[in-house]
Amino acid sequence: MNAFSYVTAQTPESAVQLVRTNGRFLAGGMDLLGEIKEGIAAPATLVNVKSLPGIAAIQASGQVWSVGANVTLTALAAHPEIVRSFPGLAEAAAEVGSPQIRNVATVGGNLAQHSRCWYYRHRDVKCRKKGGTTCLARGGENKYHSLFTGNMCISPCVSNLAVALASLDARIVVQRGAKSETLTIAQLYADAWRSPPAHNSLRADDLILRVELPVVAARRSTYLQLGEKADFDWALVSCAASASVNGTSLSQVRIVLGAVAPTPWQVDAANASLEGKPLTPALADAAADLLLREARPFSTNGYKVPLAKVLVRRALLKLVA
Amino acid sequence: MPWPEKNRYLGKPTPRADAPAKVTGRAKYTADVVKPGMLFGAILRSKWPAAEVRAINLEKALAAPGIKAAITAQPVPFIVNYYGDELAAVAGTSRQAVLDALELIQVDARPRAFVTQELDAIKPDAPRVVPDSPNLGEGKARETGDVDAAFASSAGVIEGLYETQVELHHPLEPQGSAVLWDGDEMTAWSSTQGVHGVRTAFASSLEVPQNKIRVLCEYMGGGFGSKFMPGVQGILCARLAKAAGAPVKLMITRFEQALAVGNRPSSHQKIKLGADATGKLTAIQLESFGTPGHRSGASTGGGSGGAAFPAPYIYQAPATRIKQGSVAINAGQSCAFRAPGHPVASFGIESALDDLAVKLGVDPVAIRILNDPLEIRRREYQVGAERFGWKEKYRQPGSSSGPVKIGVGCAGSAWNSGMVRETQAEVQINSDGTVDVHCGIQDLGTGSRSVVQVVAAEMLGIDLALVTAHVGDTHFPPGPSSGGSRTTSSIAPAVYDACEKALAELKERSGIEDPRGANWKAACEKLAAFPVQGHGRWREGLADGGSKVAQGGVQFAEVEVDTETGFVKVRRVLVVQDCGQVVNSLTCESQINGGVIMGLGYALYEQRMMDRTTGVVLNPNFETYKLPGPADMPEIDILMIDQPERGVIGIGEPCTVPTASAIANAVANAIGVRVASLPITPDKVLAALGKVPGAGRQDTTALEIEQAFARLAAAPATTAREEIHA
Amino acid sequence: MALYASRAKIRIAAIGFPMKSTPPPTGPGSPTGLSTPVSRRAFLRGLSTTALTAATLGAESVAAELAQGNAEQPRGPAALPVVLTINGEKRTFSLEPRVTLLEALRQSAGITSPKEVCERATCGACTVLLDGVPVYACMILAIEAQGRAITTVEGLSREGLTPVQKAMVEHDGLQCGFCSPGFVMSLTALLKSNPHPTEEQVRKACSGHLCRCGSYPHIFAAALAASGGRPVSKINLISHDHALA
Repeated sequence: MNAFSYVTAQTPESAVQLVRTNGRFLAGGMDLLGEIKEGIAAPATLVNVKSLPGIAAIQASGQVWSVGANVTLTALAAHPEIVRSFPGLAEAAAEVGSPQIRNVATVGGNLAQHSRCWYYRHRDVKCRKKGGTTCLARGGENKYHSLFTGNMCISPCVSNLAVALASLDARIVVQRGAKSETLTIAQLYADAWRSPPAHNSLRADDLILRVELPVVAARRSTYLQLGEKADFDWALVSCAASASVNGTSLSQVRIVLGAVAPTPWQVDAANASLEGKPLTPALADAAADLLLREARPFSTNGYKVPLAKVLVRRALLKLVA
Repeated sequence: MPWPEKNRYLGKPTPRADAPAKVTGRAKYTADVVKPGMLFGAILRSKWPAAEVRAINLEKALAAPGIKAAITAQPVPFIVNYYGDELAAVAGTSRQAVLDALELIQVDARPRAFVTQELDAIKPDAPRVVPDSPNLGEGKARETGDVDAAFASSAGVIEGLYETQVELHHPLEPQGSAVLWDGDEMTAWSSTQGVHGVRTAFASSLEVPQNKIRVLCEYMGGGFGSKFMPGVQGILCARLAKAAGAPVKLMITRFEQALAVGNRPSSHQKIKLGADATGKLTAIQLESFGTPGHRSGASTGGGSGGAAFPAPYIYQAPATRIKQGSVAINAGQSCAFRAPGHPVASFGIESALDDLAVKLGVDPVAIRILNDPLEIRRREYQVGAERFGWKEKYRQPGSSSGPVKIGVGCAGSAWNSGMVRETQAEVQINSDGTVDVHCGIQDLGTGSRSVVQVVAAEMLGIDLALVTAHVGDTHFPPGPSSGGSRTTSSIAPAVYDACEKALAELKERSGIEDPRGANWKAACEKLAAFPVQGHGRWREGLADGGSKVAQGGVQFAEVEVDTETGFVKVRRVLVVQDCGQVVNSLTCESQINGGVIMGLGYALYEQRMMDRTTGVVLNPNFETYKLPGPADMPEIDILMIDQPERGVIGIGEPCTVPTASAIANAVANAIGVRVASLPITPDKVLAALGKVPGAGRQDTTALEIEQAFARLAAAPATTAREEIHA
Repeated sequence: MALYASRAKIRIAAIGFPMKSTPPPTGPGSPTGLSTPVSRRAFLRGLSTTALTAATLGAESVAAELAQGNAEQPRGPAALPVVLTINGEKRTFSLEPRVTLLEALRQSAGITSPKEVCERATCGACTVLLDGVPVYACMILAIEAQGRAITTVEGLSREGLTPVQKAMVEHDGLQCGFCSPGFVMSLTALLKSNPHPTEEQVRKACSGHLCRCGSYPHIFAAALAASGGRPVSKINLISHDHALA
């Protein structure tokens, strides 16, 4: 690791001030310290944001729930009210890493984490995401990479929470300069879709403060992922789904795929195709086909298409089970 | 005098002697050694897959704060042949200081063209890994009988391509040493599988007399074949310590483990089998090549250096044609890896045999019993099949209903552990009744300390708690390196012999006819200040089974395969293992569990990935080099076949050999098609099931494979001596 | 006098001025360059605004105020005093902010049970408890572990073995032993929060650990035995046969 100085911010405003001289925010540190150890990041200052007031709690209030950015994944996964009201979010949190990781990793950190592409993460490789001229995964080893992308880089968004939160129409509240702004999940990752160096749309001094979850009547949610190992492995593909359920009929459906694009992957037509209809396996498959219609596999990640399709079907069927 | 029949400890479960030290943190490994003034060492490695190194400037590194020594890995100029090859090394007062200083070393190098994939390297126009020799090294060939005629007259013939990956050892404690010079005498704490071998290697590399070097290894964190030698890292550590005039500890990192300290070679095996209608083999043809790293070569020499493997493995036929080659690529070199060559050989032949059984409509267990030359294994198949419920479980391939399909498979292992006849041990009986046993072996986690302790307690007829086993020191009587599954069969007879000699002297000096058991205390008291010492050597009659009779083991696996996701879950593995005279059944179980689990990793998860464009190892970590974890564990059912009359034999390696093959056969049985390359990951399962549009081997790859085998056929070969691996 | 001493201690802990009574650590972990003029000046600045109030307020509020007044001053990158409570003992080290808890434990505190294996939060060999919760010491900065109770295997028992350790020994839940301290820490935390776990819960609690020797079945058995349960035969069926002789 490069040498850096360390400072504990007391307010969001001072945090964004302090981070401006080549700094990085430090919450759980699982992602950031890994980058520094590999020499991918070399910040001059780490700004500890764990002492910021009021962002380490989960609050239910009327129509919108608030989950603070500093809530750990362990706390999120085990929170009884979250498990009951937003099971997809709890399930997504429970699938992140291992107990030791979840005990320190935070909601904000999971959303802001950087690419896990093995070219990007390699200390001796300069890929397009790190300012190189080409995406090495395109012509190289891409079994863990995207089926969809809007730019040269094909590393996917691997945040479990992003996928689950997208299916819940969550909003992300960000400290941007002196004020706070609210982003949709799509907005949070829009830059990663467009721009090779971007992991998300956050600027270096944007700080995630909390997640807001709208309460929707009769909404159920779920999250599924498949890795190569049974536990403590990254998802090859993940799928989150939510809908208001009336018997076997779904409405206001949100299906989201993870690890297939630089952003959680949604297609409005796929959501709409399920509206108000009794769910059948065939209907679920048709929706999955709409989601995957634009998929452009590379040399060794074509398997993600059938895998995504079955996860969509299983997630939707789980909603009505 | 053979092993006693009525035992207090021998063959029974004994918690390993050093377990309390290991679970309390008291056990100090090489990585934990601290000496006053000790410096940290670290290595600068090549970022080029191939380059001519013209100059290395160490001045800035030497001037950096806290840096006490900096050296080049070799006299400059030199050539580097792979990403991770050693360039220079630095020692300093803190690890951060050393890592910072590595960044300051200036290397002037001219990159050369490189190649990291076997199928590229075998092409005639590929860049040469070693400038003056072809990438495709001289092969090994053997032919017996009229092979073509035998195939022509066979009732059934199958031909297939079976492929295995490069696997990494990844012992949890990295390779490394701590070295302290005192004048011209050197003490090295090394994480090693062979203290005596490491001393010899240090002496010749450093040109120091052997009697000026002491190598210690009290505890070590796993080796699996990768820690027989001090390695470049050990030699650099010793040189740094000399240059700095201070002790230096140099442990490599996880990252470096993936690059430069050994691996299991890959294989591409084209296997053709012919049989009569009953399944009796008539002909075997096997062509194979793989990569051992940057030096090609056919010889496995105990597993190091080459990509050849035992062939034909286990099964014999009247007509046999074998051609094996190896291909150099710009990558770290292979070395011995738990059962060198055997899991590779097993996967090819056991897969092919199952494919043949399916084609002929013969039961896989039956075809093995029909063709296996070793009686032990044939009977193990019978016992195992019954215990496993094979008859009830085996169904036609792919015939189980539902998206999650169940399948079963089996495979066998062959091994000849033998022993090291020069092994010695020393038993000292003290006047308070305690006993010290000294052996120049080391305990990698296999429980060798407990073997020594159990044998001594049994033979002296005393409480286990009275015996302390001392291992891991070149000042102790010579013992073998821990490899080849022969530590137990070497050391147990030597301790037995030492005990007998010590007992004889104790009897004489105490005047007590049988000083064992109840008489022990009284007999020992007579020794006063002069303990009894018995010096023992390996002797006949206690561990001969290994050399006279091959060891056999068989395993059965039951898997479930989700045909929609491609995910494979191993439900159960049954091990039927030929164990001879078990010394400690508890640590024996542990080792068998470990063998199965390592085989599970080989079957489903592990693979070193080399990047074609940049030449780097893409997964030098545990995030993308995937090891089996707690959630992946199947039920492991172990049936130890006790045969005390065979004496002590080793089980460390045979128990890992057939696991991946049995799992692969079970997967093929479950889904009705074969995934013919390891590891069996969801993407490959889905592709084998035809669920991935445009997947499967593309035409260009198929052509490249054909051309590669054509080049192998045309490559020069030495005639291999006949090897029986049964 | 006692009051003065306790205030002084808190002041030091809160803003990290080198304590005179603490000699600089020696040995491999001792970084070069102990203090920096910058942090010293920052300290003095902070002191001048708080010295008066410190005399009149209780120790806790003094500490809080000092933290408030100085916390937003970046510290480092040079070494600074870091106070760690390891196995109940408060110890002060001179560490750069980039030093991880694992490095601090192994190289400065001489605590070697947490092992350095992957250094990337993937293997669990460095697992320690932070306020009773298992974490990877390789991915936490030492400076961030201040004020929290750090427990390693060395601190589990003053004499003898804990039930988890005893069961690990009896069931041979280890081979080379390099992963064992980590497993012991996670199992200790598990049994504290869930005294009678199922095998599935044991696997889940261990999911952040790797054992390359493959001791998992015996580790599961040990965990279940330590909880007073019976090692489940489903994990490992062992039997002996002499049918072949």
